[in-house]
Amino acid sequence: MKELTMTSRRNFLKISGLAGGGLLLGFNLQSCKDESGNLSETEINAFIKIKPDGTVTIMAKNPEIGQGVRTSLPMILAEELDISWKKVTVEPAKLDDRLGSQFAGGSQGVKTNYENLRVAGAAVKSVLVLAAANRWGVKPENCEVKDGVITNDSNTLHYGEVASEAALLELPEKPVLKDPNKFSVIGKSTKDVDLEKIVTGQKLFGLDQSIEGMVYATVVKPEVFGSKVKSIDAEEAKKVAGVLDVFRIEGMENPTQMMDGVAVVATNIWSAFKAKKLVETEWELPSDYKSSASDLHKSLAEGISKKGQILREDGDVEAEFARSGEVIEALYEVPFVSHSQMEPMNFIADVKSDKITLIGPTQTPGGARHYANIITGIDKEKISVEFTRIGGGFGRRLMNDYANEAVYISHKIKKPVKLVWNRENDFLADYYRPAGCYQMKASLNGQEISAFDVKVCTTSRKLYALQTENAHKTEAFPDQEPAGMVPNLRVTYEPILTNVPVGPLRTPGVNATTFAYQCFIDELAEKAKMDPIDFQMNMIGEEDRDLPYDDHGGPSYNTGRLKNVINLVKEKSGWSSPAPSGVYRGFAAQMVFGAYVAQVAEVSVVSGKVKVNKVYCAVDCGRVINPLGANAQVQGGITDALSAALYEEIDMDGGKLIHQNFDRYQKLRMKDSPDVEVFFVESDASPEGLGEPSYPVLFPALCNAVYKATGIRVRSLPLKKHNLV
Amino acid sequence: MANYKLKINNQIREVEVDDDMPLLWVLRDELDLKGTKFGCGIAQCGACTVHLNGSPIRSCSLPVAAVGDGEITTIEGVSANGLHKIQQAWIEENVPQCGYCQSGQIMSAVALVDGNSNPSDEDIDVAMSGNICRCGTYPRIKKAIKNAANL
Repeated sequence: MKELTMTSRRNFLKISGLAGGGLLLGFNLQSCKDESGNLSETEINAFIKIKPDGTVTIMAKNPEIGQGVRTSLPMILAEELDISWKKVTVEPAKLDDRLGSQFAGGSQGVKTNYENLRVAGAAVKSVLVLAAANRWGVKPENCEVKDGVITNDSNTLHYGEVASEAALLELPEKPVLKDPNKFSVIGKSTKDVDLEKIVTGQKLFGLDQSIEGMVYATVVKPEVFGSKVKSIDAEEAKKVAGVLDVFRIEGMENPTQMMDGVAVVATNIWSAFKAKKLVETEWELPSDYKSSASDLHKSLAEGISKKGQILREDGDVEAEFARSGEVIEALYEVPFVSHSQMEPMNFIADVKSDKITLIGPTQTPGGARHYANIITGIDKEKISVEFTRIGGGFGRRLMNDYANEAVYISHKIKKPVKLVWNRENDFLADYYRPAGCYQMKASLNGQEISAFDVKVCTTSRKLYALQTENAHKTEAFPDQEPAGMVPNLRVTYEPILTNVPVGPLRTPGVNATTFAYQCFIDELAEKAKMDPIDFQMNMIGEEDRDLPYDDHGGPSYNTGRLKNVINLVKEKSGWSSPAPSGVYRGFAAQMVFGAYVAQVAEVSVVSGKVKVNKVYCAVDCGRVINPLGANAQVQGGITDALSAALYEEIDMDGGKLIHQNFDRYQKLRMKDSPDVEVFFVESDASPEGLGEPSYPVLFPALCNAVYKATGIRVRSLPLKKHNLV
Repeated sequence: MANYKLKINNQIREVEVDDDMPLLWVLRDELDLKGTKFGCGIAQCGACTVHLNGSPIRSCSLPVAAVGDGEITTIEGVSANGLHKIQQAWIEENVPQCGYCQSGQIMSAVALVDGNSNPSDEDIDVAMSGNICRCGTYPRIKKAIKNAANL
């Protein structure tokens, strides 16, 4: 994909009249430059529409996976446009290159769109004001705007009345942005724009969509990951009424793009599901596969014993270990974890001879189009993608394997098709959170860490996706705290490759390293006979510093902001006073993807089982756009992490996946859901995303509390396998 | 294939389907009532919850032939006019995140508050134990149920 860069406002924003009167703003958030560096053509598209009656329609440009961007991004536009939220209608956009990046992942939605959306809103407002001023023969500086109404002395016009004239004016290159102190939409709790549609069961999701003349399809997936179809006997399956066809789906070379399987096509999905069970498939097993979780454990143990690649080395860890005499060691481990989003994979594809229509839930609609082009050879310009509201993303739908399957099937049968996976497919072809192990070593000098040594071995996502460069990316983080805070530090990485599919899952990699680092630092605090928060504050240091962070959330982070959230959670959780009898607390903190998060978990033990009562969480994510949505993201991230921490892992029997549905793969339910209280640091700093940051910090906060409650250091997840839940 | 006359949301709906087709797919794909969701197909996640004679059931695991003359209520028919107080409470608390599981959550909650005007935390835990929410909206669900019970 070509790099996209911001260019001048002249190319960035376009304005035109709307048929029947009114104004339409189109813009590129990031105008495209072609290979020669020239601007590619910028056309008008409907991004903000102002109708003669003054109503404003704003397109929601990014996929909605429950992170709230269908609400928060339009809020930013409405703010600078100076129109009250109740006058705004939000409509979902389709894939359109002119809208810039349309992507949901990495907690990037608000962060990367904030400034550009402000400029876009302000630019439109300025031409509306200019149009009114021109009509009155006054200076625009002497006009005021309140809620879409422009006034000058006794003159009054609303936006709709001047929209057509404004559409003829040139947009300013540098419109004046609002003083944030005067924000009335940003920072105000705003309900989800789809809320009423959700609670009344309207057709919002991918699975709810249909297209004229479509047939249904599902797939058969192998029980041993990475197997390929050797032969198919579909005789019995084809006897099921309604079944139209059964054939092999040949996976793509890169398994993250499409895996091998068998397609079952039918006139309705139930027939396809029934027939799927009757397909006799002979599978060619991968040359090497993990037979069980203990087999995997062995491979990780072998990996961690290798030399590995040194990613960062400050000072001399070995010399300090030799000098100090005592080296504290601990081995942490995390299992494969499933995305298990509630809406199973599905996609609609209609491949015609000269064009393609795609409809479905994807976090990367551009990726769906890219692969549809590769599979069919049909030009990208002839491929339209409608992306629906998504029943959970969590990184799963960054891969478009299921969309590619729908394209493959429609291309083959020459009919529009709706592909629907059942839940078993979802587990058999998930791209799991990588499993990993973390060898931690440290020495203390009094109450300070004098050397910190981390060796990471994981089932690298990069290797799995056939990329040999930078196998450590999203697996090990050389600049992760306490890097820069201790005199001697070394981070080493050794990847392994297995047949188990791996991919991004909510804070990829960070969700595992934070567990290992922050639990181990808790162990060190105990060794140093210090309160864990005092120990960590001491480690961070008194002086506020910007430390380099060459990864997602970087290029640097501020230790002062990290300390602020620690102090805030300390205060709000009542950390300094003794916990009530039978209640035990654990603490952890971390900069995550640019936001700062500190948590205190409170647990008790009932009949030997851990009960999580409450989690306190302090967050500094810069300016909060929608407090209601932000609170939900943080709360939800913690609850989700608790599910993984308590219950989640997959295992195989003779290589065959055991956990193929929710009867075996346990998820957190209402009774285990704790009270979560969230506190935001008030901040004028640029907003950071919030879909992910609270997630990783829960694991260590919880396990550190469990240690206090039980005396057991949980160094491998989930707690279930330690009989603690 | 057989012909079935089903009582759904106070209407008689006629369908011709295989007798083992789960009610879920009859609702969704034969009658275009897409509010009831498919999650697991084995009655473990609750996304497909509807009411059969007022009690919550998992429509993914109930063959259409077993419905008989039972009265089915789906999210689309949960309130005769306007919104049910549970739906109102859901809006008030801004419960959903991705929203996919919420029809099922609401159907379980409606059955609870229709039969229990003052549910305790334990009542809620039990009534809602069949519904999974991957986004973790449980605290707001609990609050919304309590608010609705007081309406």
